[in-house]
Amino acid sequence: MGFIVLIARLVLAGVRRHKVQAAVLLLAVTVATATLALGLPLRGVSDALYEQTRAATAGPDVVALSGDTGPAVTSALASLANEPEVIAHHGPYRIVYADLTTRDSTSSPVVVQGFGETPGAVNRPLLTSGQWVRSGGTVLERGFATALGVSVGDRVTIAGRPYPVVGIAVTAATSIYPWAAQIGPGGGPSDYSGLAWMTRSDARALASSQDLPVALALDVKLRDPATAQAFLDAHRVSTLMVNFHTWQFTAEQDMVILRDTQPILVVGSWLLSFLAITGVAALAAGRTVEQTRRAGLLKAVGAAPGLIATVLLTEYLALALAGDALGLVIARLIAPAIASPTASRIGDAAGPGGATVATATVLAVAVAVLSTLRPTLRAMRTATVTALSATAHQPRHRPWLTALSALLPTPLLLGLRLTARRPGRAVLQACSTATTVIAIVALLTLYAQPERGYGLDGSSALPNLRGEHDRRLMLTVTILLIALAVVNTITLTWTTAMEARANMAIARTLGATPGQIAAGLSTAQLLPSLPGAIIGVPMGIGLLSLFAARNSAEPPSSWLLGAALATLLATAALTALPARLAARRPVAQTLSAETA
Amino acid sequence: MNVSSAAVRACGLVKTHGQGQSRVRAVDQVDLEVPQGQMLAVMGPSGCGKSTLLHLLGGLERPTDGEVWVAGRRIDTLSERALARMRRRSVGFIFQAFHLVEELSAAENVELPALLAGRSRRQARRRASLLLERVGLADRAWHLPSQLSGGQRQRVAVARALVNEPLVVLADEPTGNLDTTATLEALRIFEELRTAGQTLVIVTHDERVAATADRLVSMRDGMFVDDARLAGSPTRGLGGLIGLEG
Repeated sequence: MGFIVLIARLVLAGVRRHKVQAAVLLLAVTVATATLALGLPLRGVSDALYEQTRAATAGPDVVALSGDTGPAVTSALASLANEPEVIAHHGPYRIVYADLTTRDSTSSPVVVQGFGETPGAVNRPLLTSGQWVRSGGTVLERGFATALGVSVGDRVTIAGRPYPVVGIAVTAATSIYPWAAQIGPGGGPSDYSGLAWMTRSDARALASSQDLPVALALDVKLRDPATAQAFLDAHRVSTLMVNFHTWQFTAEQDMVILRDTQPILVVGSWLLSFLAITGVAALAAGRTVEQTRRAGLLKAVGAAPGLIATVLLTEYLALALAGDALGLVIARLIAPAIASPTASRIGDAAGPGGATVATATVLAVAVAVLSTLRPTLRAMRTATVTALSATAHQPRHRPWLTALSALLPTPLLLGLRLTARRPGRAVLQACSTATTVIAIVALLTLYAQPERGYGLDGSSALPNLRGEHDRRLMLTVTILLIALAVVNTITLTWTTAMEARANMAIARTLGATPGQIAAGLSTAQLLPSLPGAIIGVPMGIGLLSLFAARNSAEPPSSWLLGAALATLLATAALTALPARLAARRPVAQTLSAETA
Repeated sequence: MNVSSAAVRACGLVKTHGQGQSRVRAVDQVDLEVPQGQMLAVMGPSGCGKSTLLHLLGGLERPTDGEVWVAGRRIDTLSERALARMRRRSVGFIFQAFHLVEELSAAENVELPALLAGRSRRQARRRASLLLERVGLADRAWHLPSQLSGGQRQRVAVARALVNEPLVVLADEPTGNLDTTATLEALRIFEELRTAGQTLVIVTHDERVAATADRLVSMRDGMFVDDARLAGSPTRGLGGLIGLEG
């Protein structure tokens, strides 16, 4: 017990002494694990929302659709309802293909289903507001109504006829908005469409008023929903144009809108984790000397290497696990919004499953261990007396680089020599920049994609929700990545400045101005950022090619060049403040402290 | 002596540290003129303000009150940038702890101020080689500071201080970290500099070092308590004079 209390007290003391580092680690791990925990179970969340909607709306196991409305089809559909596997059915009912226009002139293709005024046993749309269809009124599917910005009481025009919106409802019988038209007119391909319901007589009147295309549909409930595919195979009629949609197919279709969401989140979480590791490793490296002295002190009072490793690692592990828990909670709260970008489904997502929790926790532990293992091992392996008087690791002599830098102006001379002092840190800075540029390239690529709006004839009056969803997510992931990269850049500049403070003070006594010192410190970050930005562009394009569609458009070269340049300019601006602060430290004080 | 002929001049110089009751006057109303070519030794016990005075004269710290003039130019009102430029041209520093850049060789350390002053690499390298030869380290030019003895490091620091041909060299306890042999080496170099007309201000609490100077100022509690011209002739029998030779 005493042992645990001792570790807890030492860990708490360490966290209190390094609040900024603790905050950075917590933030980095939280965003990385939240993103991963959102991305991994996306299919499960989508399926869960579909299942809940299906249960609440008595969703059919199979929907049979035909673009033909002749007696043969009617008879075929009616005979399906009498099959022994079928325990309940709804229909056949009309599906009318029309255009819908709102009061503010937004137009969209719509499929209007003619339903009874009393709900049947199968496919009972769930009203989320208003009331069910009545003569002269229409009910809109919730995803469609949300996209149109229409609510109960508004008036819409369908095929030139005005209708009041009497209700808003959801159904599991069709795919989510805008894939409500499961087949097109005449059984052909369908366009992005919303869904509306009317009474059977209103639907018939609508169809006949302008000779609109019509399809027939039948919803059936099977004795065993798992046999939907077998039922479909057994009843395919080669002579008639009948399409069958099983409930599994509809659930699968829900994932179409999320096709790019999972890669964005999962790859985004890898990149966030990588930046978390680089940031925390930079902070940990800045504390190496202190950690080694602390280990020496513990050894001097009799602590075994195991205790020392436990104390040093527990501080990071505890914070990483706290970040992991926070990330999982955040993921749990926002998962439904991510998994259901339309309002076509109802319900709540269950918490992250065991596999997701385990993966996120492994990620958090990996961030903590990878970023701190080296300084911890160094602290453990250093002899007690050496550890107590530990000084910063002596940089290597690099004659060719010193000679090269002697040819350059003072800021570049100082910057190059500072970069050469800690090549590992330069690699971290380069990687951090490359990661940021990869994300920006991905974001620009998403914005460069031509896309068809959901409005009439592809009008963008109704925006493409999938594209918007992807861009919004990518923007969020990119902002998180940039935020971590900003923290990393400031951290790396500051730790470089602190480690080189003696040399910079010497340079000041030899005649270097504070401006030259500040410029040198900024240059030390910019030099590795330059290859990072250059490499980031092709890496971003390469990474995207793994996930993007073959015919996807690439952003213009000027955008990519601009992104790389903007990243470098931002790095220069970000390093300016810590570099200026470090350059203004009193010289005499710094030299005295080094001598002490 | 008029202002223009003084390499360094201070008037009513005050430097305080801390605030309130813990306020300490490290330098208290000091007036000083160091003519060109003079070697001045400042002596006093630890904490009497010697090093602070040196920092003030070199523009590394700003005085609380008073004026500092270097090469006929008032420097206590200059910006940090102007001070840095002044140090490049007019001041060379030698520290007790040497303060060499550990990852640079002796030659690279010596050429650094020349590069900062905008000299070409070739010029800086030539000047560094010349000075390392002068301090007897030509064969150690490519050694790192960690491969040199204390005395050799201090000689590198001396060469570095001289590389831009400064008007004045300010040395803070230059023999404080040296053994007897190394101290003798350092003193010989200082004597050579004095003979060559280099203005030197050496802060020390080593009487043997002070004995080589033209003038000795004693400090106590931040103030000058004695200012004496030394009559000895240190150019001959230096080691014997200061008790380093048998």
